[in-house]
Amino acid sequence: MPEGKLCNRKPIETEEELKTLLSDTGGKKYYEEMKSLDVDSGLLWKTIGNTLKSRTKTWLEICAHCGMCADSCFLYLANDCDPKQVPAYKIQSTLGEIVKRKGQVDNEFMHMVMETAWAKCTCCNRCGMYCPHGIDMGVMFSYLRGLCYQQGFVPWELKIGAGMHRVYRAQMDVTDEDFVETFKWMVEENEEDYPGLEVPIDKEGADILYTVNAREVKHYPEDLAEAAILFHLAGENWTVTSTGWEQTSLAMFAGDWAACKMQVESVYEAMERLKPKRMIGTECGHAHRATVVEGPYWAGRSNGKPPVESIHYVEWLAEALREGKLKIDPAKRIKKKVTLQDSCNYVRNHGLKDITREIMSYIVDPGYFIELSPNREHNYCCGGGGGFNGIGLFRPQRNKGLITKRDQIIESGAELVIAPCHNCWDAIRDLEEEYKIGIKWSFLKPIIISMVEIPEHLKPEE
Amino acid sequence: MYEFLTGPMFWLSLGTCFIGITVRFVLYFKGLNWQLERVAYKAYPAQGLKGALNSILNWLIPFGTCGWRKQPFMTLIFFGFHIGAVLVPLFLLAHNIFLKEKIGISLITLHPVIADILSWSVIVCAFLLVLRRISLPEVRILTTAYDYFILLLSVAPFVTGLIARYEIGNYSFWLTTHIICGEALLIAVPFTKLSHIALFFASRAQLGMDYAIKRGGMKGKGMAW
Amino acid sequence: MFKKILFATSATEASDHAARVAFNMAQAYDASICIFHVLGVPTRGFSQIVMDVKTKEKVEIDDEYIAWVKEEIKVYYSKQLEKAKSYNINYDIKVAVGFPHREILREARNYSPDLIVLGGSTGDDEDSVYKKSMVGSTLQRVAKAAPCPLLVVNRPAASFWGGISQIVFGTDFSKASDAAFKFSVNLAKDLDCELHIFHALDISNMHMGRLLTQDEIESQIRESLRRIRGRYIGELKEIKDYSFDVWEGLPYVEIVKYAREKHADLIVMAHHTQKTSNEDARLGSNIEQVIVRAGCPVISINK
Ligand code: HEM
Ligand code: HEM
Ligand code: SF4
Ligand code: SF4
Ligand code: SF4
Repeated sequence: MPEGKLCNRKPIETEEELKTLLSDTGGKKYYEEMKSLDVDSGLLWKTIGNTLKSRTKTWLEICAHCGMCADSCFLYLANDCDPKQVPAYKIQSTLGEIVKRKGQVDNEFMHMVMETAWAKCTCCNRCGMYCPHGIDMGVMFSYLRGLCYQQGFVPWELKIGAGMHRVYRAQMDVTDEDFVETFKWMVEENEEDYPGLEVPIDKEGADILYTVNAREVKHYPEDLAEAAILFHLAGENWTVTSTGWEQTSLAMFAGDWAACKMQVESVYEAMERLKPKRMIGTECGHAHRATVVEGPYWAGRSNGKPPVESIHYVEWLAEALREGKLKIDPAKRIKKKVTLQDSCNYVRNHGLKDITREIMSYIVDPGYFIELSPNREHNYCCGGGGGFNGIGLFRPQRNKGLITKRDQIIESGAELVIAPCHNCWDAIRDLEEEYKIGIKWSFLKPIIISMVEIPEHLKPEE
Repeated sequence: MYEFLTGPMFWLSLGTCFIGITVRFVLYFKGLNWQLERVAYKAYPAQGLKGALNSILNWLIPFGTCGWRKQPFMTLIFFGFHIGAVLVPLFLLAHNIFLKEKIGISLITLHPVIADILSWSVIVCAFLLVLRRISLPEVRILTTAYDYFILLLSVAPFVTGLIARYEIGNYSFWLTTHIICGEALLIAVPFTKLSHIALFFASRAQLGMDYAIKRGGMKGKGMAW
Repeated sequence: MFKKILFATSATEASDHAARVAFNMAQAYDASICIFHVLGVPTRGFSQIVMDVKTKEKVEIDDEYIAWVKEEIKVYYSKQLEKAKSYNINYDIKVAVGFPHREILREARNYSPDLIVLGGSTGDDEDSVYKKSMVGSTLQRVAKAAPCPLLVVNRPAASFWGGISQIVFGTDFSKASDAAFKFSVNLAKDLDCELHIFHALDISNMHMGRLLTQDEIESQIRESLRRIRGRYIGELKEIKDYSFDVWEGLPYVEIVKYAREKHADLIVMAHHTQKTSNEDARLGSNIEQVIVRAGCPVISINK
């Protein structure tokens, strides 16, 4: 069978297709069809010809096969140093092999490639820092995912995820109305405690345009409330947009570059329409990567920047604390051993390593903050990045992958892990569920709210 | 035979090596594409250059990066191999005398004792590189016959050069063999993995620019490699 | 008074006593009842896998599964539903996926009930992982933000209920208490029952910072009684029987004792809009302590 009904090379374009695919519980039928999905070798080779240029070609060619990248990969470590988890091996045996065979690969091979691209790499880019030749296998895996996606060899949840972006411009079935309504609801729920709390929608020329992760709208609207409260307490002139509010991109994890472009353009349109001074995204790593770091390139912006200056939530928070817009009650600072999860997506891949530590210095009592080792741009992936968290088929591999982070946390002795990234937060929650090491974890927002001083004029009466 | 090897063959091999490598270097940079790699090279030339240089220089210093420090044994044998591999052919007295005769120029030269030490170190380290390839599972799985071939190609001139230098056996046989090996190496450079002699700089420069321009180089203190 | 009741249930034994009250109320008031079950907590980021709160198993949610759960609920409450049918009571069964407190609040916003009845949760929930990831229990969170009165039955004994004839209203003179008072008055009027207004003077030194002398206590009690008279009595004209008292002690203990003495069928109290973010406030506020201990249903009002 060339292409299946559910598993095929066509991206999802309509709500109906999305629903059909969703109703295939666990992707049973989808994966069944995948077993007989043909590889379009002509297309594959043509795409490679158009997109695999000197950088990647050189990477594949000059790799010295020296194995220095081996123990830079958390998956290699978590899997008891299985040589099959050496980054160079993983990429040479997949992308390298496809190139060598000029795209003449079969279905079985593509299954192996799919598993390698999504279950043996989270695109955390750590290995690239340890290779003497500067070969970044995370980047190549991301590229490889694009090829897989084009051929229809993509995990079920990510086909859906990319489809969600195409249909809703959000990673979940959250509509623009849902977003606005939920934000308003959250403000109503909290306006008694915070008189004057509001959510300005589509306000032009505000200082801050705030963008979110659709999961917050769907499952953790408290997060929206907390964001509103902190902007309110800091006296910021902020707004949200009624369309183009989704900062994340599962399409990026899926390798659906066309959908990436659609998604990020919706956010940029909002920026251009509302002309805020700055855009601030929520505490999410891959969202920042998608919209601020990679997004400009998908959208064809030759200066590599979004239309307005865009910063991560931690950058705003550090600034607000530094400048005294938000004041912490020193008595309420964290007084237990606490550590910080550096998100690869904005630490290794966007240099925000010191800013998070500045925040720690404001909110943790001296002596209680402990670093993981290694940390900053050398930190290991939490274990759930690049879509790994969400793929049912690769759950056992993901759980195994959490071991590196688990041991890192145990070694640090921390009781609380601050994870200002949705993916990391999830992975650490699952880590606790899976291995029960007795830790707590949190985003920054709730912690700040629990210790921030409310200015006299913003206090509720009574 | 000797005439041919030091005449046309000499020019051919040297020419192939230098021209080939220049072409590959230029093609590499011409093949870069800001949108495919998602790095705005042209928009930030100054930052890009700085990042590129940082990324190259740090990796040229023994133990200069986290990567090197993480694997001290590998670092030792890597530099033990490479310092000799780069310096000896360029600055060996015998080579420069030969050059002077051929084209009338000569570079600064290494003290013969140092040259000997470096050459031996190349051979010993190459041997250790082989042992490492065999003994470490994470390297074994990567290793192909091609890797051994490249190593062999790389050390052959050193082995034969030393034999000739110590005048073991038939000097002129070993010298001829040496020159054949040396020229084979030179010719192989642009067409094999040995092109890394130039492409190392290209690849590291690219990643350096990537980090400097896109991945946060303009935020904070830049990359601690 | 109660036309629409939202009954949030785990559809297990833990919710049985709440169910008894919810269905009885629906009958007594001719209200429609929405039986609402939160199926589970989404694990796995964007994946479709959900942890069933009831079975603690990871399941993949699809329409079929949801239909099955609905059927299960129908079977579980078959007796009550049959009875409800015979009384011509409208009912609806709804199932949602998400964090229980959030989904209950979401449904409350959609359905705009006049009363939420909150069932108990299944046993060892406290150490389940999703709970740990946020502060406070489902109860705390719903009580804090509910758009309407929230009725909670904690102890099974509290549900053997033959209608309401004695209402205890506990006040701390806050603004929220005024709302709770209004509700109590209306309820008492509506049901033609006795209303007991009660204030407990908090003399735990934790609260006051120092021990009070007996004279001080007594003068404060007199002061509180004056406040009750001034604030509430004027509005009790249409209530045929009422009483008011001020006791000293630990407020939640005193209220429970008082309710027992008055044979109360219902306690009404304000839920304070104080932050639930303090971790130690697991069952911090008075009302939560009252809920845990009371021998009758407790209604919490927050605005
Ligand atoms: C400036 C010049 C050069 C640079 C920057 C350079 C750099 C490198 C790097 C980064 C590696 C891979 C890392 C590793 O194996 O750990 C490597 C491997 C290698 N290089 Fe070079 N190289 C240079 C010149 C040469 C020359 C002149 C030769 C041969 C005569 C050579 C032969 C090799 C070989 C055989 C390997 C593979 C080593 C192995 O088996 O692990 N290189 N080089
Ligand atoms: C291109 C043609 C080459 C010619 C004509 C040539 C010529 C020579 C000559 C005449 C000697 C001196 C032997 C003696 O001491 O009597 C020598 C030594 C040597 N050559 Fe070459 N060579 C060539 C290429 C190479 C290359 C490419 C390498 C290394 C990559 C190399 C490495 C050596 C070494 C290691 C020695 C011995 C050094 C020592 O004295 O310790 N040669 N070569
Ligand atoms: S460290 Fe670099 S050169 Fe060595 S095996 Fe890994 S990718 Fe290849
Ligand atoms: S990018 Fe990260 S996960 Fe992927 S191979 Fe490299 S180190 Fe491993
Ligand atoms: S989930 Fe967090 S730690 Fe893992 S790859 Fe993403 S940002 Fe990095």
